[in-house]
Amino acid sequence: MSISYAPAGRTGKWDGAMDWVQMLSGAGLILFMWCHMILVSSVVISPAVMDAIAEFFEATGMAQVGGPLVFLLFLTHFVLAARKIPFGFDGQKTIWQHARMLRHGDTWLWVVQAVSAMIILIMGSIHMWVVLTDLPITAIKSAERIQSGFWAVFYLILLPLVEVHVGIGLYRIAVKWGFIKDKERARFKRGENILTLVFIGIGLITLIRFLFLSVN
Amino acid sequence: MSRLLKFNIFRYNPEDTLSSPHMEEFVLEETDAMTLFIALNRIREEQDPSLQFDFCCRAGICGSCGMVINGRPGLACHTKTKDLPGEITLLPLPVFKLVGDLSVDTGSWFREMYTKTESWIHTDKEFDADALEERMDNKVAVGIYELERCVECGCCISACGTARLREDFLGAAALNRVARFLIDPRDQRTDSDYYEIIGNDMGIFGCMGLLACEDVCPKHLPLQNQLGFLRRKMGITSLKRIFRK
Repeated sequence: MSISYAPAGRTGKWDGAMDWVQMLSGAGLILFMWCHMILVSSVVISPAVMDAIAEFFEATGMAQVGGPLVFLLFLTHFVLAARKIPFGFDGQKTIWQHARMLRHGDTWLWVVQAVSAMIILIMGSIHMWVVLTDLPITAIKSAERIQSGFWAVFYLILLPLVEVHVGIGLYRIAVKWGFIKDKERARFKRGENILTLVFIGIGLITLIRFLFLSVN
Repeated sequence: MSRLLKFNIFRYNPEDTLSSPHMEEFVLEETDAMTLFIALNRIREEQDPSLQFDFCCRAGICGSCGMVINGRPGLACHTKTKDLPGEITLLPLPVFKLVGDLSVDTGSWFREMYTKTESWIHTDKEFDADALEERMDNKVAVGIYELERCVECGCCISACGTARLREDFLGAAALNRVARFLIDPRDQRTDSDYYEIIGNDMGIFGCMGLLACEDVCPKHLPLQNQLGFLRRKMGITSLKRIFRK
């Protein structure tokens, strides 16, 4: 083992800033996903409610401007978080063997976080492209897409992956930055797991609602 | 009739060109209050005198007998066989240089880490051997003592996913060590000085928060809290350094 410090001339000046942006972009995306869930799940109450919320975003320009900005945040978060993910086969093998050896919950959660990130990067980009190139968002358009069959399967995969990634991300930010102390960790984690399940449940109910929404 | 314990032990002697890494099985009858330390000594005495492993104090103080016990880094002397299943797999601690079988060289790692983190009190005050020791607030003293309890066993480093992925990562033991000086009022280093040491991806910003260090530490050091404290402290310092000019 040898510890080699930042080579001369590189003191890690930006490493702290990048860590901040990684955390803040993640926190921003978590907040966005919660708001997103409020928007789409409002269809369960009534398609008119969802349309009204979507129209508000449309009329205020938030969908047209905010959408691409969220995509930018999404990419920023990926680029910064990816600095920690091993893209080489050797690194992947090491962390896989390490997780299998250790049988440690939080280490496995990191593996889940990293793998889900890769899938979300692709599927999330496709989802954003499809939605943002076909504005405005309406309940009928969403229902039509999901009733085509392919998109129902697509969202059945993307929904749990996003919710799990968001759940682990929130937990990780809290423990990494010390917002949650050791004594509160287990309770916070349990609460976070419940929240994740609740969000997956709301998402599934929303998908079912879209599936049976009359589009005629 | 007590249990017959089956041990699968990693064997390899890097000094011997004929040796190749393999697992070897040993069977031993369990005795009352048996620890892995006792079991390993019995195997060495009764079955194979060439078995290499480290120990010194047998009381969880010296930190020599760290090894991977059924997948988890821990101290052999702290681990009772009655808490383990009948089949026990023992591996040397990863990350550190292998000496042979279960013995690894944690000493060189820690010595180098101490040098790199400049693990001593930095002060320009002249030391007066005849003067009374400066008084310290009890709460601060207890806080320092809490972090000083590290026995340098290396379990936190071996359990760390980041340390496994990148050789230059300092790890919890080193960061805990820095935190110890950071709270010591006798050390005159500024937050900016500490940033030079740990304010990078090899230091606190490299930590991915997997917290295996916290979960395996045989001394139950508050590593999670220290890592969070350092990340916030160095995070704020990084912003100050950027906007200072």
